[in-house]
Amino acid sequence: MSRGNLFLATLLWLVIALLVIYPLSILVLESFKIAKTGGWGLNNYLEFFQDAYYLKTFGNTLVLSVLVLLTSTLFGVPLAYILARYRLRGKTVFTALILLPIVLPAYAGAFAFVIFFGKYGTLNLLLMEAGLIQTPINFIFGLHGLVFIQALHMLPFIVLSLSAGFTNIDPSFEEAAEVEGAGDFWRFLTVTLPLCTPSYLAGAVIVFLWPFTDWLTPLILGKVDYLPSIAYINIAYHFTDMHRKYMGIVAVVVSSVVCISLFLLSRRWVEKKKYTGLSKGTTLEGRVIDPGALMKLSAYSYMFFITIIVVLIPAVLGLAAFSRRWVFEPFPTYWTLDNFRMIFLETPALIYNSFLFSGVALLFGIAFGLPAAYLIVRTQVRGKDALDFVITLMLAFPGIAVGVSYLLAFWKDIPLATHWIIMPLSLFARRLPYFLRMAHSSYLQLDISLEEASEVSGAGKLRTFINISLPLLLKGVFIGVVMFFIMAFQEITTAIFLYRGGWETLPIGIYLNWHRGMEFGIAASMAFLMVVITFILLLIISKIGGGILKAAWGPGGR
Amino acid sequence: MAFIEIKNLFKRFKKVVAVNRIRLEVKEGEILTLLGPSGCGKTTTLRCVAGLERPEEGDIVIDGKPMFSQGFVQPSKRGIGMVFQNYAVWPHMKVFDNIVYGLRIQRIPRQSVQERGEQVLELVGLAGMGERYPNQLSGGQQQRVALARALVRNPKVLLLDEPLSNLDAKLREKMRFEIKSLVRRMGLTSVYVTHDQAEAMVISDRIVVMDSGNVAQIDTPQEIYQKPANRFVADFIGAMNFISGEIVQALPNEGVYVRTEFGERMQCKVADITEAAPGKKVYASIRPEDIEIFTERPQAKENLFKGTIAHKAYLGNFLYFFVNVNGAMIRIQVPHYVPQEEGQELYLYLNPEKCTVLF
Repeated sequence: MSRGNLFLATLLWLVIALLVIYPLSILVLESFKIAKTGGWGLNNYLEFFQDAYYLKTFGNTLVLSVLVLLTSTLFGVPLAYILARYRLRGKTVFTALILLPIVLPAYAGAFAFVIFFGKYGTLNLLLMEAGLIQTPINFIFGLHGLVFIQALHMLPFIVLSLSAGFTNIDPSFEEAAEVEGAGDFWRFLTVTLPLCTPSYLAGAVIVFLWPFTDWLTPLILGKVDYLPSIAYINIAYHFTDMHRKYMGIVAVVVSSVVCISLFLLSRRWVEKKKYTGLSKGTTLEGRVIDPGALMKLSAYSYMFFITIIVVLIPAVLGLAAFSRRWVFEPFPTYWTLDNFRMIFLETPALIYNSFLFSGVALLFGIAFGLPAAYLIVRTQVRGKDALDFVITLMLAFPGIAVGVSYLLAFWKDIPLATHWIIMPLSLFARRLPYFLRMAHSSYLQLDISLEEASEVSGAGKLRTFINISLPLLLKGVFIGVVMFFIMAFQEITTAIFLYRGGWETLPIGIYLNWHRGMEFGIAASMAFLMVVITFILLLIISKIGGGILKAAWGPGGR
Repeated sequence: MAFIEIKNLFKRFKKVVAVNRIRLEVKEGEILTLLGPSGCGKTTTLRCVAGLERPEEGDIVIDGKPMFSQGFVQPSKRGIGMVFQNYAVWPHMKVFDNIVYGLRIQRIPRQSVQERGEQVLELVGLAGMGERYPNQLSGGQQQRVALARALVRNPKVLLLDEPLSNLDAKLREKMRFEIKSLVRRMGLTSVYVTHDQAEAMVISDRIVVMDSGNVAQIDTPQEIYQKPANRFVADFIGAMNFISGEIVQALPNEGVYVRTEFGERMQCKVADITEAAPGKKVYASIRPEDIEIFTERPQAKENLFKGTIAHKAYLGNFLYFFVNVNGAMIRIQVPHYVPQEEGQELYLYLNPEKCTVLF
């Protein structure tokens, strides 16, 4: 173990200690504080779990999670199977479109669907004009709409993890079942699906945790009785009401505990069930079938159906962005660039802030992620597994927990929160695993002998890294960089707790415009602008290589 | 009539011809081995029999029932047993569930499934291991699970796709005999794919040597070794010296004179005398173990050549001498105690009865 590695590890641990461990422990500590006496105890938790309202909220969130997971699975299984197994023309285009929600901000979808499916939204108005219905149907407001929007947003996770599973199954497992006399459906049920469970679970747990994180979609749909939403409302609006504040903090801790435990459980289960085949030469694309005419038609219709729903998001936002006074009409009639004039001329700081914060966060991400990936993959430095573990854990932490803990931790003792640097720092902490995972998997694919050859030729570790590893890693790293940027760019769950006047970003602007002034048009155009920027970034990624599939998920499928 | 009949089988992958209109027959109760280098089409042929690949043309008949000609019988309806190269033992099912998977599909009463499963476990030497998961078994044991699964339904035909290639050398040798005796005992018609010639020799009644999608030779192991049909087969099975030359004259008793590359006359046998026209370019071939060596010039008149030992290679129980005969390098296998060293001269006697002309 070299000194340099140890030094590097220490440095990274210091960063983790300051930006992850310290604030999160402050959050937990705070939850045990008794507001009235200033002492410590379990009182807050007792109150929380004895209060029928908070219990109901907790139950609601669990139910929502189950429904979202079921819905996205139901729609995801056929989609994943089609994408992984059928040889179809134009599959890549469909794949890219279907997976779009993974990179679009969740609130963009929520806005678009509220406009389209709302009480006097496009669909209801069209149906009424056609005389098919007399009174509007409630398509979207309520639990069903919430499930629909969240399930669609998380659909890519299910599809990607399942299709990776379908692709990676050793073909001979299924062939053996065929030879043994199993029909298509029975084989799928007894062999294919069970063998996919580990990779399905990896995606499913992320989906399940989403309702514990997403506080904004319920608010947009007029529901508040979910843990993250109530936590947000209690902490952001009732900061002076000590009882509500502490109930909010407890809600955040409870959400975090649920998320972390589920995440760890699923990981343990997946580790235990790693099904690897023995095949030496399995094909990269796995088992691909030429579907019959009927299957082909159904596959295309199904992909088309999902694509239409996804494409509604940018389409509806686009319509709203270039118009004003779009109410009680199926389509806008008054076209204008006014919204964009407002955004670009009156509040350019929002765009500037968004790029500044995401950019700075990205620099932190690279400075931290590359050495971390190097330590974890290439060295035996003590504590590297723990480092990997802590970073991966951030995947499961609700964004709201990061936001609230930063608010509590960096106010008095370490007054970082008075400087705008807190914004990129929190983004960095929240999206830490994204960049690291990408660098990590590229590193794993880099044959170590290429580096060894350089060292044998007389280059030192650092020179080897710069001359050999970095150029070879560049593609993977770059995709990681852009992905990180996209994720940081649309971040709101954390930022909403930390921003002060003058630090607003585009997502915060969207929220404020919708929430305060009901300025739907401006909110929608900001969302549209974000979709456009995201799309451009995505195009860059898929040009560079791997396509959107790899970009969003990383090579190897996990 | 043959139990499995393959006629005119043709299969392409993209533009590459994998199986080029081959014809094969497998007799009832016979173990037939498809042998050849990778890419020769042996696995594709086997997979066509299983129904895992759909040929473009040809006929496949198993036990009098057409499997493929115009129509196509799904693999699940062919009633075959198959052992895969990587075993394909389902990791999410216990050993017993793996084995009786096919029985359960047939809706056989629970009691007989239990009995039959245990019987087969016993047969392959895994009695009492039914409740384990595959990852708790060694490679060799997983191999037995795969075998048990293939045997459990009393299939008409057993297909084995390089079943031993993932085992270590010792175990591989042991399993050859086990598989052979098991298949014999059950009287199964089997098609066995391998690239290992020693394995093919031990296990087969007949061997089909395949070369880039074509059948090079079908014969018993002895015939294939002693009378290879062409240069490819001779080269693939065992070691062989090829001395290029041209036919000078045909002799009675299926013999010919060949003028060799090193300029001397050599007497050889030829399988088909009608092909031995004078002037034809051929290979005079002889196995390294069939060459006799002398330090003094012996009495023989024909096929006696003088050369110098260029290299000597020690292989434990025997030696290889690479002898330079006027520029041609001839490999000779001699017992390990032969004392001659590199640089010494030898007389080689290539018994005309053991020299063959190959094209």
